[in-house]
Amino acid sequence: MAWMKTKSITTVLGDIMKKTPSEKKIQAKMQPGIITYGGFLGTDKRSYLQIIADDEKSLEALGKTAEELADRLEYFQQVSFDSFEAQAVVDDKWEVETEVVRGYLPCPFMHQGMYRKSYTTVKNLQSQKSFTFSSLNIHLIRVHHFFEGRNSHFRLDPAEIVKELF
Amino acid sequence: MINKILSDIALMSAIGSVLALIMVIAQRWLSNYGEVKVNINGKRELTVKGGNSLLNTLSDQQIFIPSACGGRGSCGACKCKVESGGGPLLPTERPLLSKEEISGNIRLACQVKVKSDIAIEIPESIFNIRRFNSVVEEIIDYTYDIKGITFKLTDGQSIDFKAGQYVQLESQPYEKIKNKVVRAYSISSKPEYKDRIQLIIRQVPDGICSTWVHKHLKVGDKVNFTGPYGDFYLRDTDADILFVAGGSGKAPIKAILEHLKEVGTTRKMTYFFGARSLRDLYLTEDMQALEKVFDQFEYVPVLSHPVAEEHWEGKTGFVMPYFKDAIRDPKHTEAYLCGSPGMISAVTKALKEYGLDEDKIYYDSFG
Repeated sequence: MAWMKTKSITTVLGDIMKKTPSEKKIQAKMQPGIITYGGFLGTDKRSYLQIIADDEKSLEALGKTAEELADRLEYFQQVSFDSFEAQAVVDDKWEVETEVVRGYLPCPFMHQGMYRKSYTTVKNLQSQKSFTFSSLNIHLIRVHHFFEGRNSHFRLDPAEIVKELF
Repeated sequence: MINKILSDIALMSAIGSVLALIMVIAQRWLSNYGEVKVNINGKRELTVKGGNSLLNTLSDQQIFIPSACGGRGSCGACKCKVESGGGPLLPTERPLLSKEEISGNIRLACQVKVKSDIAIEIPESIFNIRRFNSVVEEIIDYTYDIKGITFKLTDGQSIDFKAGQYVQLESQPYEKIKNKVVRAYSISSKPEYKDRIQLIIRQVPDGICSTWVHKHLKVGDKVNFTGPYGDFYLRDTDADILFVAGGSGKAPIKAILEHLKEVGTTRKMTYFFGARSLRDLYLTEDMQALEKVFDQFEYVPVLSHPVAEEHWEGKTGFVMPYFKDAIRDPKHTEAYLCGSPGMISAVTKALKEYGLDEDKIYYDSFG
């Protein structure tokens, strides 16, 4: 029973009891090498549910919703698509560019449909900070409130997005 | 208290395990469908073991229906007509089928389970699709993120394809990647080579297959692929030709030009290749060499964001404004495009404005 010393009994029982088979499948699909090379969780040790819960708390503190952030990212993506993916300046404040490669990605939450492998980069011209996101990122944020785990390839930090892209 | 909770959990787990075991045994006995017949296009009948998906059943019979997601029911690429025996439409299929497709008995082959005799219709061209074994013969670094890889067929196999078509490459497990994945890549070599193909593969951000190709694949490695697929190929007419490509979209155009070099042509051809900067251009000398081979061929690279230090003196910006000088009779001109959806959309719009008929604009879109 030494392992129990490192975790409280409620945490252990919570870990055992909380995840439904569907949640376990989703967590498995987010691992490296299943849908993408690096997966969706990065170096994060939290479950995807906990990541969502923590980011929702951040959003609440920021006074924004996941839908608003998704709308904002989609706005930049659409401007880029309208410019045929070439580099374009948006509202004199941001530079946007999209790269599309062959193929599609499925949603790890097992929604039907595939998301085009399009990667939009938005750069704040004042701070020079840039963010890259895919069509799948927009879906994950809008529908699942999932911004990916720490250090994952396409992690988008809600606070950074609000600070730099609004 | 804790002991009571843990013993209850252990009891529930034991019950769950027993039920799972019963289900596995039941599945084994009750799901034995025996031999069933698959009738294809009313012409060919296969006798197969029932119980598998239609996609896998056909694949086991060396009939390869295109699939981008490996049978997970998420891409919708494996559509085929099921005349009878497919069972009811499943909820997993409905989102990927239009009303017309549903009323026309179109189904997803990966979702239809072959439990009884079944009659299907698939395009005749699918019978030409084969699974090939090969070894990597050559790897060339074309740019910082694009490689050209030549696969030499083994086991006495040979391949027939039209210049412009693509294959589906199977990656192998590596590092933390436990499963094979399948990805589509255009063939960049001429169809006159029957014992090898070349693919041009760009490194995709976080991509499983392209990372395998770029970081792990080496000369001598064994690789499998299926093909040929696709309806992007040169039409046999005497019309003038505009080729437009960007990035790895150069692959099918290269195959078409190399094919034309073999068979000869007097058609007027102009090839616009769009790239960001000089470091994204590749095979430039090869393309310029073709200007000396063909009577009427011009290769026009266009950079959207040339770097000042590169001292680029060629064309810049979008490719579209330069079409005007290349089109001498829009009604007698065909266009072949390969690249991103944005590029395809912009170029198609421009070509229509220049007077080209939409049905003479052929494209292979990445999206």
